[in-house]
Amino acid sequence: MNSRPKILIVDDKPENLVVLERVLRDMNVELVKALSGNEALKATLHHNFALALLDIQMPEMDGYELAGILREEEKTNHLPFIFISAVYTDNLNVFKGYEKGAFSFITKPFQPEILINKVKFFVEKHQQEIELLQLNEDLVSKNRDLEDSNKALDSFSYSVSHDLRAPLRALSGYSKILEEDYVSLLDDEGKRVLNLIQHNAEKMGTLIDDLLMFSRLGKKNVQKTTINMAEIVDTVLTEIKQSRPYKANVKIKALPFADADQTLIQQVWFNLIENAIKYSGKTDNAEVEIGSFQSGKALTYYVKDNGAGFNMDYVDKLFGVFQRLHGTDEFEGTGIGLAIVQRIINKHGGEIWAEAKIKEGATFFFTLPIN
Amino acid sequence: MNSLYEIILVEDNLSDAELTIRAFKKNNIANPLLHLKDGEEALEYVFGTGKYAGRNIHEMPKVILLDLKMPKVGGLDVLKKIKSNEITKIIPVVLLTSSKQDKDILEGYQFGANSYIVKPVGFENFVKAISDVGLYWLLGNQTPK
Repeated sequence: MNSRPKILIVDDKPENLVVLERVLRDMNVELVKALSGNEALKATLHHNFALALLDIQMPEMDGYELAGILREEEKTNHLPFIFISAVYTDNLNVFKGYEKGAFSFITKPFQPEILINKVKFFVEKHQQEIELLQLNEDLVSKNRDLEDSNKALDSFSYSVSHDLRAPLRALSGYSKILEEDYVSLLDDEGKRVLNLIQHNAEKMGTLIDDLLMFSRLGKKNVQKTTINMAEIVDTVLTEIKQSRPYKANVKIKALPFADADQTLIQQVWFNLIENAIKYSGKTDNAEVEIGSFQSGKALTYYVKDNGAGFNMDYVDKLFGVFQRLHGTDEFEGTGIGLAIVQRIINKHGGEIWAEAKIKEGATFFFTLPIN
Repeated sequence: MNSLYEIILVEDNLSDAELTIRAFKKNNIANPLLHLKDGEEALEYVFGTGKYAGRNIHEMPKVILLDLKMPKVGGLDVLKKIKSNEITKIIPVVLLTSSKQDKDILEGYQFGANSYIVKPVGFENFVKAISDVGLYWLLGNQTPK
């Protein structure tokens, strides 16, 4: 690939070939000479040329005929030509296959600079084409690698969801048996330990679910429709209330419709609102405010609470997988919820960020582009 | 037409099987139950071949609980064979799966599965699946709704 580009020069008169050699000697190219059309065709069997310089008037096979044959051959059908002729003709279309590739024309006697410039142009073009081809091949192979790792990830998630869950089920199931049938044999410490086993099994179940959801999001397509945000928030609040009774006073302000994926955005609201309720759970007069405003070409929605908040120094860690700013003894969590939220919002072409103060609360904002 | 076994549980994971059987007992479902340990056994039972050669296949269970992920012959293959046979296709089949996100569930429905249960086999889960296939009153001591 890094060898010098090859140029085929064809002329029935050896002295003309010598002239061409002299003109082009300062260029970083390799010249292959041919004294007839047949010799030229033979040369194309052994070399890959960047360019051919063809004399038109030659006995047996003239330059046009040669060019026509080269255009028909697969190996040379895109080889550019420069015709060199003593007689000027604007009727270059006479050779077969002229429409297939680049060509040019020079009359003899020629100015060396003009020939050099033309040769340079074609050689550079040839090199760009080779680079492009190489790039394309790289892309194709990278794409194949990506497809492979996608498939590997798929079977990994499948395995996680099935094989990791099985022992976990046994763990929960058998501790349930202990709880139901043998609890009278356990003292308080035994009951506490049993409780911890069940609690941790449950936690691992949640962790597996969250991880799976996060990895599935990677290739899920966003299906945008017009969605009713107020309705979604309402559904989410009902759902949260069922699994986690809360005392926070939840204020819902106007929430305009958005163009987004209903299921995914519901997950965003769920995670953000559940967080707000969770982190204000230890605050007296806990308040959660859900609202929105328009800013330029995007709608911004927010969830605000007056709970535990966090130190803005660590804001960079907030959306990372498994990153938590609170200990699990303080607030439960898997550390995946906000990573999921960020992934969903990014997939919609929106942004997400947070503002907070320790012990004063946090506000999470996300934007969705307006069509 | 009464089969000796009314519930066929096809499950390769012994813990899952034990916990499922326990869930039945806990909830007063005392119908005779046969636990088969893989898809191959299930096919032999249903079609009266191999180990179950000579079994009258017209004696059908009231329900087959079928785990999706099993070695050798998987749940979907068993389902396909049961549902593509004129005699056996009327047996209600409830799929057991580890995840409700399982893409096999959808495929299972396409092959004629009657319902599915996400493990662990919580009783609520089970009641819902059994009422889906209209068998609740056949299996339980409870009076029909």
